[in-house]
Amino acid sequence: MSSRAFLRLVSPTALPHVWQVGAQGSEDETLATGHAPLDACLPGGGWPVGSLVEVLQARPEPHVWQLLLPALALVVKNAKAAPVVLVGAPLQPFGPSLAAQGLPAERLLCVQAAKPAARLWATEQALRCAEVAAVMAWLPQARSAELRRLHLAAQQQGRLLFVMRDLGAAAESSPARLRLRVESTQDAMQVHILKRRGPPLDGPVLLPAHAPRVAALLASRKGGSKPPLLEKSHVLDRTAAHA
Amino acid sequence: MFWIALLPTREDERTAWGWWALQFTPRVARVDEALLLEVSGSERLWGGRKPLLRRLIQSNQALAPVEWGLGATSLVALACLRQKMRGRALQVPQPPQDLPLDTLTAAADHVDTLERTGCRTWGDLRALPRGGVARRFGAALLDALDAGFGHRPERYDWLTLPQSFDLNFELPALATAAPELMWSAQRLLTQLQVWLAARNRGVLALEFEWTLDLRRLNGVKLPQHEQLVVRTAQATQDIAHLRRLVSEHLNRATLSAPANHLRLRSLETVPWGGISTSLLPEDNIQGEKLHQLVERLSARLGEGNVTVPVAREDHRPECKQQWLPARQAQAGAAPDAQSLYPTWLLPQPLRLEMQGDTPCYGGPLHRLARLYRVEAAWWEESGPALRDYFIARSPQAGLVWIYQERPGPGEVKARWFLQGLYA
Repeated sequence: MSSRAFLRLVSPTALPHVWQVGAQGSEDETLATGHAPLDACLPGGGWPVGSLVEVLQARPEPHVWQLLLPALALVVKNAKAAPVVLVGAPLQPFGPSLAAQGLPAERLLCVQAAKPAARLWATEQALRCAEVAAVMAWLPQARSAELRRLHLAAQQQGRLLFVMRDLGAAAESSPARLRLRVESTQDAMQVHILKRRGPPLDGPVLLPAHAPRVAALLASRKGGSKPPLLEKSHVLDRTAAHA
Repeated sequence: MFWIALLPTREDERTAWGWWALQFTPRVARVDEALLLEVSGSERLWGGRKPLLRRLIQSNQALAPVEWGLGATSLVALACLRQKMRGRALQVPQPPQDLPLDTLTAAADHVDTLERTGCRTWGDLRALPRGGVARRFGAALLDALDAGFGHRPERYDWLTLPQSFDLNFELPALATAAPELMWSAQRLLTQLQVWLAARNRGVLALEFEWTLDLRRLNGVKLPQHEQLVVRTAQATQDIAHLRRLVSEHLNRATLSAPANHLRLRSLETVPWGGISTSLLPEDNIQGEKLHQLVERLSARLGEGNVTVPVAREDHRPECKQQWLPARQAQAGAAPDAQSLYPTWLLPQPLRLEMQGDTPCYGGPLHRLARLYRVEAAWWEESGPALRDYFIARSPQAGLVWIYQERPGPGEVKARWFLQGLYA
């Protein structure tokens, strides 16, 4: 009797982690990605904080910064002096460019490790540190169980964790709540959402592939039109202004 | 007078227990196998005898437990402790009178003789004529007996805290690999913690030194000792962090021969300000500090693999930032922030292959925009950097950042380099 009354009182969708087929699920805490079309497709409207986010690409380096920089700039601005840890970055991040896009270079901490086990260890240690803002790890050889461990560490500490893997990992199972496959076209990147708390997405989300100033410069070169005047700068803008 | 006798269950921790006891009373002495404390001067400060004893024995979490005995004089306290250790009845009817003679150190040599005369307790011995006892057994026995009954003042060499920590520990077994030293190192670190707390200091650098068991190995003469220095960025009394750090260092260290002794010294300590606590939730985040993370990552992966960018004033992009070990360097802000720069930089500019006049990287590059010209570094011996920078599109790698090195006077063909990737 009492159990029936209980069932009538609680609607299933009011429970956490339960959502209707057509709707998006909810996330406890999210951080805006800085890309409005992507935010609209993500449950909770942004990157889930305290959860593993997988980004799958054919090559490890392209689009990473363009996709993640707005969110990283936001989290770095909120947490004073907390660094963003890069584990196993394929190339050197270039400070002056990142600083102009909101991520000051002094907030980077690069960890290089050749062995996959050492990378996993470094990633987990960084997640367990209290003073780290976000962790980006390139883990091409990680297995599902190892990723699960990282996911739990991120969950425990409430950290942003992005793991970059190659396209072959798309077929493997993963503990990540959000999995993205990023493909590049001429001037855009196509973000396919492989997994999210919600219905599967029909088509990819199209996002600009380059920073606004680079895109403006290229557009001015292509069309021969005068580029929109952006913020003041000395040497570099001369070419853009002459175009 | 009120005395406490302590007997640590681990022999090597006796000194550390002495340092620990020094916070309760300045009168701590090592006598025979035990530690003796005279606490009548400070027992009111600690709220009486029982609270003092409870704090002394129970609040020390780091060290192994102790056995204890109490008495009005130091020898009675020691005798009670010995009674307890031998499993005899703790309560004797009248403490100094009825204590057995073998609990008195000065009488240890004469116990057999005295027992044959029917003299078994301190009271029996005291009842004997003093002149005869002094002639037969020496004055030292009478002196000790008087001190035990409280008729003579008791003087000892009181323990003091050393200026720096230095302890040598004999390994229970020969260590053939550095990680095997960890167990002993942990014992030493525990004692270091007691010393730091007693001195109210935080440690910045410490040194492990192990003694090698062999003088020569394969015909090569070996040094007598080998050292390992461990440093931390912020002074700490937290042994958990030091232990993990030492463990990482020992995992990378090698022993040139089996070791038999381990010694720990404190190289650098600073006055300890205590831990500042806060009630604000944002200050109370679970997890370790950043410098602890950096130290541990550097210890395992190597210092060159944990790096931060340090900005330099230079026009050549590869010199705009320098990657320095995070343990030593403070990262600096970039002076010239430009979002027209690429986000990834190649560690070294990559010489591009040419197809006719077109440079190739994953297919022929299509130049989209000329960015700017660099003329700098005329002071370098390798010659000045004369470069024209371009943004180009690669069929495979997307937008890339390339430059053309302007040909010198004798050269005809320009050389092309790839320096960055837009991502």
